Amino acid sequence: MAPEIETEASSPILEVRNLTVTFGSFTAVDGISFSLDEGQTLAVVGESGSGKSVTALSIMRLVELGTRGRIESGEILYRGANGEVTDLVQESEDAMRQVRGNQISMIFQEPLTSLNPVYTVGDQVAEAVMLHQRLGRREAKGRALEMMRQVRIPDPEQRMGQYPHEMSGGMRQRVMIAMALSCDPRVLIADEPTTALDVTIQAQILGLMRDLQRTRSAAVMIITHDMGVVAEVADQVVVMNQGQVVEAGSVFDIFEDPKEPYTRALLAAVPRLGSMAGRSDPAPFDLVAP
Amino acid sequence: MSDLMLGSGAEAMAPPGREAWRMFFRNKAAVAGLFLLLGVILMTFLGPYVYDEDPKDIVARPLKGPGTEDVPGLGTDYLGRDVLAGVVNGGLTSLRVAAIAAALIVMIGVTIGAVSGFYGGVIDNALMRFTEVFQVLPALLFAMVVVALFGPSPWKVSIAIGLVLWPQLARLTRAEFLRLKNMEFVKAAQAIGSSDLRIIMRVILPNALPPLIVATTLVMGGAILLEAGLAFLGLGDANEVSWGLMIGQNRTNFITSWWTVTFPGLAIFVTVLSFSLIGDGLQDAFNPKLRGR
Repeated sequence: MAPEIETEASSPILEVRNLTVTFGSFTAVDGISFSLDEGQTLAVVGESGSGKSVTALSIMRLVELGTRGRIESGEILYRGANGEVTDLVQESEDAMRQVRGNQISMIFQEPLTSLNPVYTVGDQVAEAVMLHQRLGRREAKGRALEMMRQVRIPDPEQRMGQYPHEMSGGMRQRVMIAMALSCDPRVLIADEPTTALDVTIQAQILGLMRDLQRTRSAAVMIITHDMGVVAEVADQVVVMNQGQVVEAGSVFDIFEDPKEPYTRALLAAVPRLGSMAGRSDPAPFDLVAP
Repeated sequence: MSDLMLGSGAEAMAPPGREAWRMFFRNKAAVAGLFLLLGVILMTFLGPYVYDEDPKDIVARPLKGPGTEDVPGLGTDYLGRDVLAGVVNGGLTSLRVAAIAAALIVMIGVTIGAVSGFYGGVIDNALMRFTEVFQVLPALLFAMVVVALFGPSPWKVSIAIGLVLWPQLARLTRAEFLRLKNMEFVKAAQAIGSSDLRIIMRVILPNALPPLIVATTLVMGGAILLEAGLAFLGLGDANEVSWGLMIGQNRTNFITSWWTVTFPGLAIFVTVLSFSLIGDGLQDAFNPKLRGR
């Protein structure tokens, strides 16, 4: 079932090999492998519970913090700016702190809850800046303001002083992106960044992420269950189900010629314009057995 | 704009600020408590200058009630000392003990609760069993033992009280940390590379403050009661005037000479009540569900 991943000549910035993550006796991620090339966008798709988010948290080594998750086996190879390859699974917690936010950054699904409610957004972005750069509070604020401008928050000077609850979901997600990109990370992991947003805002945020990726030539790993999002942003696609990689390939191959029945079912789940013509109810469909 | 977002549960995530104070001052009981406490503080710190009598001086014949000729306002105790001077001067001991004990309770309780709740697992288990050891000890009895062993100076009394009351705050802090540590903004803070210490102090603790402030206020009332209890039993510093000591020394006469115990008792009652009312008021003010009522 696990397909071969073709390794390209250019060495990937991030490569996951045979990663297995367990929660107690439950195996959430079961020996998956994939790789992410520099400047590329990799979409990890799959239904809820397929292990997408756990994979992302494992790369950040956040899966063991606060939860009972454990990286059982496998390697997560990260190639730093100097070309040196490190296995993030073996890194110490101190070393990981230098990687998080600085080298690899992450944004989360819920912009409503992923900002700290007791600080202004300006303070939070400045805080993220100061964690990895030796800057005074003044300079950090300046950098934060610049980041807020880059993620196209209107009136950034004024918005800096607002609390998260005073902002809309789309604005909050922009703040999250500003925080995540404030230290120029080389890899950005986005865990369903647009799921909680409505469709127009979703398009704006995806467009923003694509632009920022181009100007910074960062690699992006985007986790989603939305094939529409995949079609819009991805270069490469990894389809996951029940903790395993079902199919992987370029976005054209996946959409053009899906090999696995699960991928086909996932694609068929996207409603097509006109497919409901003449019906009053959605047509029932079979759940695909894994 | 902000009205539109209120329905989304977002208001529960709003920081407690001016809104909380507005709620607090609209609560009549809480404001009454605040005034009572201010009254007690004023009496304690300005009273001795306004009513310039030494509470240890024998000024008249013993056990004379209020209103008797040549006897100070609230009568005299069993040694002929001025009860009013005692009430005015006795507050300092109570308030000082409450302040020191509260500081100690917050320091121990928040540290242990935060570490316990944040790290969980074995650390949590060990720290909570340790906390339970203190929690199952009868508070007054344990404080009595500490004071009896180490002597009754105000500092030692405060430490004894702090040692018996910190478990309450530790448990509450732990509960708050358990609730907050799985919030997404904590994960987000970890994802930008924040250290554990930073997450505990700067990310989670500010969000846990409202209930902790309420609990601290309430625990201060408890500390004052405990101090009075110790003094009543003769385990306070006998050289310091305190309300508990006054009641304890006059307890044999309280049926015949009610004024000797009633006024210091009233002072304790008012002080503890004020802390209670303020605590309740803060609790309501910090509760987002009651906001805008």
